[in-house]
Amino acid sequence: MDADGLNDALGLSNDKPQNLGSYIYQPPKHGKSAGERPSKRRKVSSTTGRDDQADQQRFVPLLNGDENAESVQLRYDTYQELWSKQENKIQNILEDVDSAVLADVLSFVRNTSPQTCDGCIPTALVTVGSNVSSLSRLLSRLNGQLISTEEGSVVVLESGDAPNLKTTLKNIIRAAVTNTDGNDGYQKFLTDRAGPRLLGYDLDLLHDYVQRKGTKKLVLALRDSEAFDPGLLTDLLSLFKSWLDRIPFTVLLGISTSVELFEGRLPRSCVALLQGKHFEVQEAGNCVDRIYETLQTDSGTNLWLGRNVTNTLFENTSDYFQSPEAFSRMVKYAYMSHFFANPLSVLLANPDSTVLAQNKLCEAVRNLPSFRMFCEDLVEEGSIKQIRDLLEDDEYLIQETPKYLDANQQRMRGMFQAVRVIYVCLEHTQSAKKTTVPDLSVRALSGELSESTIVEEMVAAAKTLDSDKLDELLVRLRGILISREADAIQEDLKTLLETCPESGPLRSGYNINSTVTRTTVVQQRIRLSKGQADLSEQAVEYTNIVDRLVALLQVYLTETLINPQDLFLHEAFLFDLRNPLKETFAPRPRFAIERALATPFDYLLSSSDATMTKVSAKQPATAILYQLYLDSGALVNVHDLWQAFYGVFETEEADGCDDRVVMSLFYGALSELKAFGVIKNSRKKTDHLAKSAWMGL
Amino acid sequence: MRKLSDTGDQPPVSTPKRKRTALEQSNGALNGHAPNAALPNDDSSYELPPSGLDQSTPKKANGVSATPLQQSGLKTPTQKSKARGLFATPTKAKSAIAATPSRVKNADRSARKKSARVLFEQDEDAAWDGSERLAEEILHGDGPDTEKVDQSLAESIEPKAGEEAPEKGAKQPKRRAGRPKGARNKRSPTPEGELPAHERYFFQNRAGPVKTSNATLNKVTLLTHEEYFEKLGQYVDPCKEEKEYLQSLHHRSFPQWAFEFDEGFNICLFGYGSKRKLMDEFAEWIYNHRLSDTTTPTIVMVNGYTPGISIRSIFATIVTAVMGDDAPSKLGAQPTEVLELLQSALKSHEEPVTVLINSIDAPPLRRAANQALLARLAATPRIRLLATADTPNFPVMWDISLRDQLNFVFHDCTTFLPFSAEADVVEEVNTLLGRKGRRVGGKDGVGFVLKSLPENARNLYRLLLTEFITLLDDGHQSDDEGAEGGGRAGDETGIEFRLLYQKATEEFVASSEMMFRTLLKEFHDHQMITSRMDASGMEILGVPLSRDEMEGVLEDLVLG
Repeated sequence: MDADGLNDALGLSNDKPQNLGSYIYQPPKHGKSAGERPSKRRKVSSTTGRDDQADQQRFVPLLNGDENAESVQLRYDTYQELWSKQENKIQNILEDVDSAVLADVLSFVRNTSPQTCDGCIPTALVTVGSNVSSLSRLLSRLNGQLISTEEGSVVVLESGDAPNLKTTLKNIIRAAVTNTDGNDGYQKFLTDRAGPRLLGYDLDLLHDYVQRKGTKKLVLALRDSEAFDPGLLTDLLSLFKSWLDRIPFTVLLGISTSVELFEGRLPRSCVALLQGKHFEVQEAGNCVDRIYETLQTDSGTNLWLGRNVTNTLFENTSDYFQSPEAFSRMVKYAYMSHFFANPLSVLLANPDSTVLAQNKLCEAVRNLPSFRMFCEDLVEEGSIKQIRDLLEDDEYLIQETPKYLDANQQRMRGMFQAVRVIYVCLEHTQSAKKTTVPDLSVRALSGELSESTIVEEMVAAAKTLDSDKLDELLVRLRGILISREADAIQEDLKTLLETCPESGPLRSGYNINSTVTRTTVVQQRIRLSKGQADLSEQAVEYTNIVDRLVALLQVYLTETLINPQDLFLHEAFLFDLRNPLKETFAPRPRFAIERALATPFDYLLSSSDATMTKVSAKQPATAILYQLYLDSGALVNVHDLWQAFYGVFETEEADGCDDRVVMSLFYGALSELKAFGVIKNSRKKTDHLAKSAWMGL
Repeated sequence: MRKLSDTGDQPPVSTPKRKRTALEQSNGALNGHAPNAALPNDDSSYELPPSGLDQSTPKKANGVSATPLQQSGLKTPTQKSKARGLFATPTKAKSAIAATPSRVKNADRSARKKSARVLFEQDEDAAWDGSERLAEEILHGDGPDTEKVDQSLAESIEPKAGEEAPEKGAKQPKRRAGRPKGARNKRSPTPEGELPAHERYFFQNRAGPVKTSNATLNKVTLLTHEEYFEKLGQYVDPCKEEKEYLQSLHHRSFPQWAFEFDEGFNICLFGYGSKRKLMDEFAEWIYNHRLSDTTTPTIVMVNGYTPGISIRSIFATIVTAVMGDDAPSKLGAQPTEVLELLQSALKSHEEPVTVLINSIDAPPLRRAANQALLARLAATPRIRLLATADTPNFPVMWDISLRDQLNFVFHDCTTFLPFSAEADVVEEVNTLLGRKGRRVGGKDGVGFVLKSLPENARNLYRLLLTEFITLLDDGHQSDDEGAEGGGRAGDETGIEFRLLYQKATEEFVASSEMMFRTLLKEFHDHQMITSRMDASGMEILGVPLSRDEMEGVLEDLVLG
């Protein structure tokens, strides 16, 4: 075997610097190996050749590669358009959520000074809980505000920047200067000084800078205060204290646990240096709920997230303490997946018929499960002619499709309006547990909401509302529940209330106070009978109004709460694939590796007999060794393991195999298992390994 | 399994416990003449609540226990000796049981014979390894055959047959009083049903006697670097096509990855196999895909597995890639400084910079501080980070805030390719086996090191070896002594430091003692020489090689 062949087999090549730590990539010279390109290479080059004109865009033609370039481009553009709209909404929400805390912190920074704090360092303690990302948002906005008004700036420090006092100070000074003047400014600042050159960690530098800039507030923010070494923090703070008369420090501490715990870690002398105020950032959960609500129920929405996706999103948020940003990134990824991989998503662009006039696209529409259901419904209605046209006439299909798409999108919007109606009603009727919009949405998306107990209970509770609360409810519903009847009900209620302004809130006949239980003794038995208490005239009228409202709600809800999976073309406007999202954001690498090693043919699609479940020499060496490893105990004798490994090869190769070759495979496999951390050397016996991982845990 | 065919439709529902009771009932251990008849009788007489017993034991007899037999049988189909190697226990009886299904009949017969013998000549060893009990069972009939295989397996490989193994120990009444070591066999009772993951861990990890054979690798010649690579080259991968197909599947994701990059995500690839090749190809793909825009894309490759790689050097490379000739000559010693320089440089840089990191979880990069810095790099605008991770548990490196900064999307990219560049296989295995002494790698290792050393050093080593061999020849005239000495010869005899220095100056290898020592230090670092002080305080140099190896190296040196 010559060296070249060997290197080829190992995937090493002589001209590639695989042993360098880091290098700038240069493509290999193409001249020498043009002839011997492996087949897959050819495949790639042919695709790049084909979509030369599509090079500018990221999307790949779908429909087996037959999608035309225009449609591909449309998908991309629609994605950009839809997502940028949604992203703006998310951004607004995030800013809105932060704005209260930001205003508080900003006014604190402006109004406090060492003088107001009895000579201590003014300190803002910000507890963020699991909402880690909110602090950096807050800080960057604070920084922007302070710089724009030329009051000062914010220096953000992470625990990684602070290995020791010198480096920390140096980092602070550099960050402060580069924040406003950039890196060049820092270099200039260091060199262009009169007098002796100061060392990088000399606070005189910072003093100089503060004087030059006229900085009134220098906010030093420690993002992860708990991770700082307490000793270092003490030193740092006492240093600040002594410079406080020259440099206007304000310290901002980001705390993930609680102020008490943080304080407990610091020595008293250090705590005594600080004086300040405590701020709390809203938990991520509320924020995420709001984002979801806006994305889904907004009337401008064209693409919705289905039940599975919603479930995955909220699972991840609660399991991994995701920040709102991470949440919106996942939503973004869902949008990306939809437009990247679903050829029907082009329909969302409202394209003209020329784009749609692709044979394959019509075929794709006809293959949809929802198309089939739609046709079945048409059969029941008896419109055979229409079906025939849809199936056979491409033009008719192209003409009809956008209409149905629009109509069904409208119904989706209606459904989410209904979700909001229910949510608002629940806010007024439900007292104890709060049902969130995402909860309701999940039910609505699976088509279960209209029959759910939540709605039943809500309607029942709505019946018992007194007139004041009902009035409130109707006001809240005004923008959401749009129907003439609702307006009429409100009118009537208003006139009714005007006729009897003095009698206090009216109660409907369903209210528990207006039913009376009569107790009569009949033949020595107590008989309970319920009866309507005598209702005043207004009350009867009010009951009528309530009845009308309830009836309206019921009709409205049954009408709007459809099952989205039944809608024709829901594949185009409802993204409901659990998988790309789940695997992409919550991977299971250990499972993947265990699976690859335990059942390698799950991955290596064997062309011959695919049902090889047992250990055989046809499998990759590491997989064989891993399966032997799984069979072994906590302690493994290497010699025996080797014998068993060799046995696998010996039995299959009739003409006897070179045991040294097998040995080299054994070596490779052993070193890989070691790298995975599943075996280690055991000192209990000579030539024994200790097992350190078990499958399926 | 085979049992079923033997006894026809009589399902083997017995457990060892019942068996043993039956044994006691029949009042003797050696009534092995009519095993088939005895089994059904005993069962029917003893099995008071048949349904209840059925519920508690059936899966052992026909379900679970059958599978291990099948597997183990298939695993070692024809090489009995090998099977014994792995699953051996001190008695012969068991190895016969673990034999192949095809030889079952013969094996059964011989097992019964041997079992009788075992019971006859009981000894202490057998008393606690369970072979005797096993023998009784074999003698007693076919019924619990499958069971026994399990047990014998379970003896040597406990977690696998976990469900069965402990039951035996726990439920068995002692047959003879005063079996002192019997207690060692005792295990916790079989847990019922599906265990939650954590319980399973403790069950698999429970304390108990570990049975492994005492065989060692002393008789096996271990591989050297040279042989390893040579032999590996001869291996024809049976899955080559499948692996290439897998690779081509990953290729199809390239546009998707590029799209993800465009949308501000970073990518992390995981799964079994080296992803270095895939990365190279992706880099090439990016490069070719962007050629239409006159500008060449900036791509930085990082090999995280390189020993001694530092974050600072990675950042410095990126800075050079971004700034080109404008990069300041002095970047600063702290990685954060370089990072900030990079961040400010990127503000004026239009094109995105792609950073591809191979093995982000490799030991040199694994430290938390390093990962935090990489996360900050990943969070920098216009930096696109593609990292691969090889170990199964890499996500534990990142807490939520790092995860937030890294902003990864994960893709399973199992390639099944060997980690040829990532790991020094022979070295790893040698440490694993506790043979660090072989670090030099014998003749080949020394030759390897010498190749990379300058001419002078090679000459010095040649000189050293020549002198050494002459000394050996002079000192020990007789052949046998030299041969017997072997590796030890180097330790015993040695060259005086002064003498070697003198020779070296004569041959113009070293002109000063300083230079001479520098050369020797190189050898020291690679453990190619030993040095010690003799009684008179003279420094004696030695070579830790056997005579043969020394001659081999010398030959290579002179000829090469």
